[in-house]
Amino acid sequence: MNPQEMKPEREPWYRSKTFKRFRRNPLAIVGTLLLLAFVLVAFMAPAITAPQLASIPAARPCLRDLGIKRSEVMDTLRNPLSPVFWKATLAPPESCYNIPRDGFSPLPKPPSEKHPMGVSGGGYDVMYGLVWGTRTAFYVGFLVVGITLSIGIVVGGLAGFIGGAVDNFIMRVTDVMLSFPRLVFVMIIAVIFGSGLTTVMLAMAVVGWAGYARFFRGDILRTKAQEFVDAARALGASPMRVFAKHVFPNAIGTLLILASMDVGSIVLAASGFSFLGLGAPVGYADWGQMISFARDYILGSALGTPFDYWYVWVYPSLMLVLFGLAWNLLGDAVRDALDPKS
Amino acid sequence: MTTFIARRLLQLPVVLLALSLLIFGMMQFLTPEQRAATYVRTEQQAKNIDLIIRQYNLDKGFWAQYTTWLNQVLHGNLGYSKQSHEPVLTTIRKRLPVSTELAIFMFFPTLAFGIWMGTLAATHRDKLIDQFVRVFAIAGWSLPTFVLGIWLLAVLYGYFHCCGIGRADDKYLIEFAKGTLKTYTGMITIDGLLNGRPDVTLSGLKHLVMPVLTYMVVASAQIMRVLRSSMLDVLNSDYVRTARAKGLPERVVNLKHARRNAIIPIVTIAGLMFAFMLEGVFFIEIIFNIPGLGQWAVPAAIQLDFPAVIGIALLTGVIVSIANLVVDILYGIIDPRISFQ
Repeated sequence: MNPQEMKPEREPWYRSKTFKRFRRNPLAIVGTLLLLAFVLVAFMAPAITAPQLASIPAARPCLRDLGIKRSEVMDTLRNPLSPVFWKATLAPPESCYNIPRDGFSPLPKPPSEKHPMGVSGGGYDVMYGLVWGTRTAFYVGFLVVGITLSIGIVVGGLAGFIGGAVDNFIMRVTDVMLSFPRLVFVMIIAVIFGSGLTTVMLAMAVVGWAGYARFFRGDILRTKAQEFVDAARALGASPMRVFAKHVFPNAIGTLLILASMDVGSIVLAASGFSFLGLGAPVGYADWGQMISFARDYILGSALGTPFDYWYVWVYPSLMLVLFGLAWNLLGDAVRDALDPKS
Repeated sequence: MTTFIARRLLQLPVVLLALSLLIFGMMQFLTPEQRAATYVRTEQQAKNIDLIIRQYNLDKGFWAQYTTWLNQVLHGNLGYSKQSHEPVLTTIRKRLPVSTELAIFMFFPTLAFGIWMGTLAATHRDKLIDQFVRVFAIAGWSLPTFVLGIWLLAVLYGYFHCCGIGRADDKYLIEFAKGTLKTYTGMITIDGLLNGRPDVTLSGLKHLVMPVLTYMVVASAQIMRVLRSSMLDVLNSDYVRTARAKGLPERVVNLKHARRNAIIPIVTIAGLMFAFMLEGVFFIEIIFNIPGLGQWAVPAAIQLDFPAVIGIALLTGVIVSIANLVVDILYGIIDPRISFQ
């Protein structure tokens, strides 16, 4: 028989035990469905908020950058056949992330037909912010996880591959990074470069890699100790080849999966910084920023009526919690599925 | 053990020096004029900024600048905060006890609650309490501190008027300001007792209910999760079976044999928990209007008041380094198998 055919057939991922364990976990299904709903909302953002774009005069910068008139909004943004639909969905101009203002009244207005979820102080449409905020959330989460993960893989890989004094030094640095609060980093970077969403993401990227580096190093050391690595070395493979062909690919899988589940907690943290005023500016479609005035509305209303302007802060905080919950349910299920003991 | 502690104590200045270099390095992104603003207090000084630049060697090379700056820092001159209109060190002295009090009250109940619930969940695996703890852990972890804080503020304070915001009732704060109540430590609950006024302490405790509750729900989730899984591992181990076979009461097996080993992972993530707590203190101070460090430093960062932020960064560095040292020593007490060689 030809040796090629002797190779055991690789099991497809959807038939693996891990995936089966994941699929049978009801919490995993809830998390996945929640997350799919968020993806759908993010994808359909221009179509969902088309009425707001059409009826609020201040939405002009977004429409101008899309190259359409206010009268055409409803026809184009909800019609998958028009090129504007795809432009707005796939590559919306930055100006669309600014919540259009309907007037400048400092008092919020309750939900109405024109504004299904009310208007927050300063005339910002709550629903518009929620829907486009979903995009901001995914953007922040994926970008920060992507950057931190890349740094973490490089640093952790170096520590695990070289070992010795380098390893020791890198681990001491990660110790310090892990015990230093992120908020202080955000504050330092905000003072130097000014506050903003970029500042928050930069600070989180500077700090966040330490956990991944440590985890990846541990996995590399564990993989290095296995027999097939010894076998490869005994066959005369160079250290570089052993690392690149045998250790690295076998060590990285778990890290990639677990890190991708961190998107939720990254978004929650970033929204916290926006809440404090260090992140997204007022009027930007970001859930944390939308809650930032909640405290004033609760304390500012007469005693006993803290829910006077509930629509301003209850909706965005629910979105945040559901987003975090979706990722955590998913992450928990994945961790359970990967655990061979369960 | 003593040599280990001595060696770690000797390492401390090295770590702090490295940290100061890092923070100073980041300050290099600012222009000399901006950095000179650290030492500016009056209009007159602002006009003669070149004088200050020369006085603090800000026009010299990196090392000359660094040593001058470090010298000032070591002599307690952290600069002047425009946010609080006073020297940074004065503000820190005033606000640190407030934050410390909050942190102490946040930390210990949360730790105790987390360990207690985590143990219960593991010893009653798959029973009702276990299911509850698992749901609680996921829900708590998905709730950001500030969202839960806002919700509690609306429900407990706004609707039920049950617990106040701030540090204590206004009448006591006025007494402190007037001097009829003496300030000894700056922590209201302790000062109340030292003044022989338990009602002040009680008021302080009442105002701590919401902050502590907020943090407890969010942070104990992580502790429960870690303790539950490590406790399950330990409960399945051979020596626990041996202990049971010897006929030891279940309580002794669970608490004396199993939990002592299950707690070790909690100490391992203590650094993470500590960082999370410092962040939590800042958020909670802002939401519940507590005049601690966070309530001053976060607005200072937004107002680009960088002496304040640098001061906070240095202070955090010192606190974190000391906390890490304490954790390392605790490690040895909790797990005597670790040798300090």
